[in-house]
Amino acid sequence: MAAHMPTTFWRWILYILEHYGPSLLNGAGTTLIIALVGTFFGCVIGFLIGMIQTIPLAKSDHILKKIVLKIVWLVLYCYVEVFRGTPMMVQAVFIYYGSSYIGISMTKWFAAFFIVSINTGAYMAETVRGGILSIDVGQTEGAKAIGMNHVQTMVNVILPQALRNIMPQIGNNLIINIKDTCVLSAISVVELFFVSKSVTGTFYKFFETFTITMVMYLIMTMFFSRLLRFAEKKLEGSDSYDLATQDTLTHTSGLIRHPGKKEDTRR
Amino acid sequence: MNGEKILEIKHLSKKFGNNTVLRDIDFSVHTGDVICIIGASGSGKSTLLRCVNLLETPTSGEVLFHGEDITGRQTNVPAYRAKVGMVFQNFNLFSNMTALKNCTVGLQKVLNIKREDARQKALFYLDKVGMSPYINAKPRQLSGGQKQRVAIARALAMKPEILLFDEPTSALDPQMVGEVLSVMRTLAQEGLTMLIVTHEMAFARDVSSHVVYMNDGVICEEGSPEQIFMNPGRQETKDFLSRFRNG
Repeated sequence: MAAHMPTTFWRWILYILEHYGPSLLNGAGTTLIIALVGTFFGCVIGFLIGMIQTIPLAKSDHILKKIVLKIVWLVLYCYVEVFRGTPMMVQAVFIYYGSSYIGISMTKWFAAFFIVSINTGAYMAETVRGGILSIDVGQTEGAKAIGMNHVQTMVNVILPQALRNIMPQIGNNLIINIKDTCVLSAISVVELFFVSKSVTGTFYKFFETFTITMVMYLIMTMFFSRLLRFAEKKLEGSDSYDLATQDTLTHTSGLIRHPGKKEDTRR
Repeated sequence: MNGEKILEIKHLSKKFGNNTVLRDIDFSVHTGDVICIIGASGSGKSTLLRCVNLLETPTSGEVLFHGEDITGRQTNVPAYRAKVGMVFQNFNLFSNMTALKNCTVGLQKVLNIKREDARQKALFYLDKVGMSPYINAKPRQLSGGQKQRVAIARALAMKPEILLFDEPTSALDPQMVGEVLSVMRTLAQEGLTMLIVTHEMAFARDVSSHVVYMNDGVICEEGSPEQIFMNPGRQETKDFLSRFRNG
């Protein structure tokens, strides 16, 4: 058998790709799914917490509302502190094995989604709060002045603007998650790092295997950083606008770029 | 005084910490009134207006809307604000929406009006303020005067019973002041009830039915525009107005 074994670095790379390429791709797929789902739910958690944290509390409010809100805030504060303040790897082991200890059996997939989501959520909560605070208070006042309540103001006016401002941070979190899902190998989630380790276990070719792993991680992160840049641009919206007018002379004045699509310009 | 009493303010006071900004304010607004509140900067005009819309919570006193005190805990504040429009010094247009969307969002989300109806209503008011060609523009693409006219259309679309203006022209270039004031003049002629904080003395004199002069957190003098501008009773009012005549 030894006679058929590759001899150079590049031959080893080809050999590993040939024999373990599909497993490595599977691992990368798992990594991506966990990172994407985790980032998505992390953002949802972050937005919810950010919204709750910015509920205005006036002196004249009912005592019960004050107490409930204060307790909720305290719980959220503890959540953020605990999950930002401990390593995700430790949390993974703690939650996965801890849950079976108290009689809840988690599948590995669920545990992986859960851990990455709440971890991202803890970071996103602060990011979203910052994003909300960065929006001029005039926007809130404008929304209140036409009769919007807190949730309507948030959903229609503040969060869309905050989202645009925190897009770079969401991108950061996604990229961090793509990389940091490797800590889930601690609870034997078969993601890219776990697969790579298994491959090295067969031939002890660490350098060759992890060269491939490095490149795969890099491709994933670079692809998503580009994609998020593009999404950011899209959120910013167009720089120009079409004049909407019934005045037919406007068409000859060159002010309208698409005279043929008059109806469209009014949308 | 024209019609029914819409708004009545009784013994209203506002403190920020130990700083008393408003002291024992009393006045009322009837349908069709155009009331201008004038006075030096820092005299509490804007705070008074913000108290009326509950953007500031009054420290004491009552704000009666159709006879009901709205400063109480049981008031549905958003529902009240939907009936009392407000136009701000800094426009406060929603920067993530087009001019049209700025006007329809309140109709759709707050008043639950259907999309197409909301659009028709919004277009009507945008046309009224002369902004219908710009319905697809975002606020950052508009000039100050254009923004303020959209803001007025946004407030009007909600069909408010009373419209509050908080120094609507103070952030505008002199040439843009005219376009906003002319819109407001038209609204006044059409009988819209308005409460306007302004530094535009000529506008206050020509358009208002009633003028309130505020000084240092109290209503120093009020009356018809003729009375306040031609024949002010108090020395403070005379001093304040003479500064405007000379400047």
